[in-house]
Amino acid sequence: MKKIAYYPGCTLKTTAANFEESAIESMKKFDIELEELDRWNCCGTVFSLATDDLMHHIAAIRNLIRVKEEKSNQVMTLCAMCYNTLKRSNQRVKSNQEDLDKINDFMYKEDLNYNADVDVLHLLPYLRDEITFSKIAKRVKKSLNDIKFSAFYGCTLLRPKEIQIDDPFMPTILENLITALGGETVETPYAIECCGAYQTVNQVDVVVERTKVIIDGARNQGAEAIVTSCPLCAFNLDHRQKETKKKYSKFIEMPVFYFTELLAYGLGIEFKKEWKDLHYVDPLSIFKN
Amino acid sequence: MTENKNDKKIGVFVCHCGINIASTVDVDKLVEEFSKYSDVSHTENYKYMCSDPGQKLISAAIKKHKLNGLVIACCSPTLHENTFRRLSENSGLNAYLCEIANIREQCSWVHEDKTEGTKKAIKIVKTIVEKVRKNESLTPVEVPVTKKALVIGAGIAGMQAALDIADAGKKVILVEKSPSIGGHMAQLSETFPTLDCSQCILTPKMVDVAQNPNITLYTYSEIEDLEGCVGNFKVKIRKKARYIDEELCTGCGICVNKCPSKKALDEFNVELTTRPAIYVPFPQAVPNIPVIDKENCLFFQKDACRICEKVCGPKAIRFDQEDEFIEEEVGAIVVATGYDLLPITEMREYGYGKYKDVINGLQFERLLSASGPTEGEVRRPSDSKIPKDVVFIQCSGSRNPEYYKSYCSKICCMYASKHAMLYKHRVPDGHSYIFYIDIRSGGKGYEEFVQRAQEEENVVYLRGRPAKVYQEGDKMVVWGVDTLSGQQITIKADLVVLAQAIIPRNGVEELIKKLKIQTDEHGFLSEAHPKLRPVETNTSGIFLAGCAQAPRDIPETVAQASGSAAKALTLLSIDKIHHLPIVATVDEDLCSGCEICIGTCPYSAREIDEEKKIAIVNEVLCEGCGSCVSACPSSASQQKNFTDGQFEEMIKAILE
Amino acid sequence: MSEFEPKIICFFCKWCTSAGADLAGTSRMKYPPNGVVIRTLCSSRVDAEHILLAFQKGSDGILIGGCHPGDCHYQTGNYKTRRKMLLLRKYLEQMGINPERLRLEWISASEGKKLAKTMTEFTEQIKSLGPIPKFGEKEGEE
Repeated sequence: MKKIAYYPGCTLKTTAANFEESAIESMKKFDIELEELDRWNCCGTVFSLATDDLMHHIAAIRNLIRVKEEKSNQVMTLCAMCYNTLKRSNQRVKSNQEDLDKINDFMYKEDLNYNADVDVLHLLPYLRDEITFSKIAKRVKKSLNDIKFSAFYGCTLLRPKEIQIDDPFMPTILENLITALGGETVETPYAIECCGAYQTVNQVDVVVERTKVIIDGARNQGAEAIVTSCPLCAFNLDHRQKETKKKYSKFIEMPVFYFTELLAYGLGIEFKKEWKDLHYVDPLSIFKN
Repeated sequence: MTENKNDKKIGVFVCHCGINIASTVDVDKLVEEFSKYSDVSHTENYKYMCSDPGQKLISAAIKKHKLNGLVIACCSPTLHENTFRRLSENSGLNAYLCEIANIREQCSWVHEDKTEGTKKAIKIVKTIVEKVRKNESLTPVEVPVTKKALVIGAGIAGMQAALDIADAGKKVILVEKSPSIGGHMAQLSETFPTLDCSQCILTPKMVDVAQNPNITLYTYSEIEDLEGCVGNFKVKIRKKARYIDEELCTGCGICVNKCPSKKALDEFNVELTTRPAIYVPFPQAVPNIPVIDKENCLFFQKDACRICEKVCGPKAIRFDQEDEFIEEEVGAIVVATGYDLLPITEMREYGYGKYKDVINGLQFERLLSASGPTEGEVRRPSDSKIPKDVVFIQCSGSRNPEYYKSYCSKICCMYASKHAMLYKHRVPDGHSYIFYIDIRSGGKGYEEFVQRAQEEENVVYLRGRPAKVYQEGDKMVVWGVDTLSGQQITIKADLVVLAQAIIPRNGVEELIKKLKIQTDEHGFLSEAHPKLRPVETNTSGIFLAGCAQAPRDIPETVAQASGSAAKALTLLSIDKIHHLPIVATVDEDLCSGCEICIGTCPYSAREIDEEKKIAIVNEVLCEGCGSCVSACPSSASQQKNFTDGQFEEMIKAILE
Repeated sequence: MSEFEPKIICFFCKWCTSAGADLAGTSRMKYPPNGVVIRTLCSSRVDAEHILLAFQKGSDGILIGGCHPGDCHYQTGNYKTRRKMLLLRKYLEQMGINPERLRLEWISASEGKKLAKTMTEFTEQIKSLGPIPKFGEKEGEE
C-alpha cells in the first residue's frame, strides 16, 4: 500500500472527525494509506497578509519540517484552510530565500533546516489528477442514484491564484466528482460565494443570512443536498440551519455533505452512526436505496 | 597626454540637458577627461546643446578648430542624431562624421550615484570617440520613390486615408480582408454624441472610395508578402476566390435568396443571425458582389446543390475560381487594420459566453440598427421578447490587469451612454442601468451627452463593476455594488450588454510579421514616438491609422487617418529619397569568393562578380544589417563606419 | 577590498533592445552601471571575433540584445545571431570560459522593464561568477 504523509489539522480531529475517517477509508480502497504525522501543530490559519509579518508563517513551516522528519516530500491535507495556509507559506519561502533563512534561524532548535522542498497536496485535486474521476466511477458500489447536488466550494481552495485548484469563477471539480459517483449536479450562483466564514463565532446572524440565501438558492435550482469542500463551510451551512430555522420558520432544511463522505458512501463504505451524529441535518435522508 | 597619431581633430560636446544629465554625470569632469586626448581639439559642455545657442556654439567650434569629427554626448540618438548631423552638414562637416554618445537614457536616467554615473558616461563617450576616429565621410545613396500608396484595411480609417491620398492625385491600392469595405462603422446604429445615423454618413464615403479613379480596391484580399523599404516596397496581394466572376455579376441577389444552406453565422450581425453560404455582407456593401463561403456551401462540402449557378442570369458563378496573386509596387503604406472585441467567452464572471442574453456592444448596435436583424426593435436573442430591464456593464475586460486587459478601451463610456439612451427611445417604459468605474467623457460635446443620459433620459448610473451575472429562470441576474452608497445591488435583468475591451484585429499578428513593424504588449501597433510621431511606425514609410494603434473613437480615427495620409503624401511628393549609406563593402584583395555572404543577405544585395570571381555589394539594396560582414570568414566584408577595427577599439575603450 | 565590479559589454541592436534601453531610461528605471552599450544596427553584425576579443581583453560578461524572433527589422538577423551564439557558447566552454558569461536576450522597444531586469540580473550573475580568468587559465581553477 502506498503511504502518503497526512496532516489533519484541528477540525478534522474534533467536530469533523467524520470527514477524516471517510477520507482515510476511501483512500484505502485505492491502496493508499494516509499516514498521520507523528507530531503536528496548528497550521497557522488566517495568517497576516502583511509582507513584513513573517512570524505568522512559522506554524505552517514547522509542520512541513515534521513532514521532512518523516522522510517524506509530500503531505496530504483534507481541510481547505490547512491546504491554503500550508501551501501559501510554502510558496512564500520557496520563492524567497531570505524569508526561508529567517524562519530557519528562528526555529534553530529544530533538528532539521527546512529547504522548501515539500509538496503540499489536497485530496480533491489528488482525486482528480492522480486517482482520476474515471477510475473512481469504475469503483462505485452504491450509485448516488441521480440525486441532485449543489456544489459549494468556499474560498480557500480557489484563492489566491497561486494555489487555486480550479477556475475560481467557474470551478467544476466537485461537480465532476459528484457525476463520477453517479449523482446529478445543479448549477447555482452561490457555489463560489462566501459562507460567512468566521463570523460564525461572534455574529451568528450574518452566517444565518448567508445560510438561508445559499440553501434557498440551491433548492430553487432543484438541489436536494449540498456538497462542500471546506470544513468551515460545511459547519456553517449545516449547523447554522438550526438558527436559520429558528429565525425563518418557513425555511426548509437541507443535508450538507463533505466531499469525502459522499466519496466513501459511493465506494460502498458504511455511513456510520458516529458520522451521522456529527451532522445537524440528517444526511442519510436523501439516499433512496 | 596621448600622442596625436592621426590627423583627427575631434570635438567633444557634452550636454547638461538641464539637470537631466548634469545631476548624475559630472559634465565638467567629462570635459576635463577628453581634453587630455591629443586628437580631441576642442571640448566643452553646455546646458542645452540642442538649443539654438547650443547649436551655434558647436557650429562655431567646427569652423574655428577645423574639426573633422564630432561627438555629442547627450540624449538618445533616436532623438537628436538628425539634429546634430544636419548641423554638422550645414557647418561643412560630413554628417557621418558626427556621432551621438547616449549618456542620458542609457546612463544618467538609469543610475543614481554620480561617481558611478560619471565613470560610465566617460566610457560611453570614449567608445564613441573611438568610433569617430575611424568614421569616414559618406554620401547617402539616392533612390527614386514609387509614387503610389498601399492602404491596408478599409474601415473608416483606411477609407479616409485612401481618399485623402487619392484626392491629392496619387494612386492608392486599398486592400480589405473582408468581402466589403466599411469596417465596424457600417455595423453601428447611431453615433455619439450627435446621434446621427452611422450608415447614412458612412455609405457616401464608401461610394466615393469605389468611384475614385485613383483608388484600386481589392476586397476579400490579404497581404501575402512584403519586400523592399521606404519609397520602394514590393507587395504581393492574395485576392481570395469569391467563386464569382466579378465582371459578369450584376449584384441582383437572386443567388443569395435561393441558396438553401442558411446556417452560417452572420458576421455582419455579430452572430445574432444566420446567413446563406453565398452572401453579400450587408445591403450597401461595396462592392455589391456576393462571396461563396466554402465552409458552408453544399457544393464544396457535399458536391451537391449548385442552385446559385442555375439561377444566375449572367452566369457569373465560378466554382473553379482560384486565389489570385497580384504584385504591386508602392512607396508608402498606411496600416489601418482596426479592432475586434474581446470575446465574451473569456468573461469568467459573466458566464463565459454561455448565456444568450449576455451580448456585446456591437451586437446591441445591431439590435438598435434599422438594418439589423430586428429592424431596430430591441428584442433579446433568447426569446425575442422586448427587454424591460437592461444592464450595461462598462470596462468588461478593460482596466482589469488581473484577468484581462490593463488598458482603458476609451470609447465604452460614451457608447454605453448612447446605448442606454437609444434603448430608452425604443422602449420608453424600459429601465436601463449602467455599471461604470469612472465616466471618461473627454471630447467635444461628450460630457454634455453623458449628462443628458443621466438627467433627461433617466438612465441609472451605478458606480461599481458587477461581480457576477447568472441565469435564474428567464432573467439574467446581475450582482453588483453601488460604491457611492455602499449598497449591494441585485438586478434581475432581461438583457445584459457588456462593453467588451477593444483588442487588435483577430489575425493581425501574421500581417505585422510580414510588415516587420512593432507592437506594444497588447498587440496594438507601436508608433515611432508616443507624442511627436504618433502616426509613424519605426519602419520608415509605414504609417498607422485607427484602432490598429490603440482604442479610439470615430472623429479621432478620421483625424489620425488624415494625418497618416499627409505623412504618406509627404513621402510621395519627393522624387528621390536618401538611402542609409552605412552599407557593406568588400576588400577585393581579401575576398576569396566563397559566397557565404550571399546566403546571409535577406535583401539579395550580395552577388558574385563573375569576372573577378569575388563578392560585390548592391548598395541600393543593402539595408546595412551587417550580417554578411560578421559571416565573412576572411574579414573582406566590412560595414561602413561599423568596421571590425572600430568595434575593436570600442571594446578596448570600455575595458581600459 | 571593495566588491568585485564586473566589466560588461552590451551589444544592442538599434531597433529593439537599444530602444528598449532608451525606454528604461525614459521611465527612470534603475539598474547597475556595469554594462556599457555598443549600439549596432542589427545584432547579427556582432562577430564572434568581437566577443572573443572582449573576453580576452578582460570583459567579465557580454550581453547581446536583439529583437524577438520574427520581429527583426532585417527580417532574419536575430536568427543568425542565435545560431552564432549557440555555437560560440560551446566554443567558449572549450576555451575554459564559462558560457554563462555570454548571454543573448530578446528585448523589444517596449520592454524597458525587461531591459532593466536583465541588466540587473546579468550583473548579479557575473558578480557571482567572479572575474574572467586570465588568458590561459581555466575557469574554476585556483
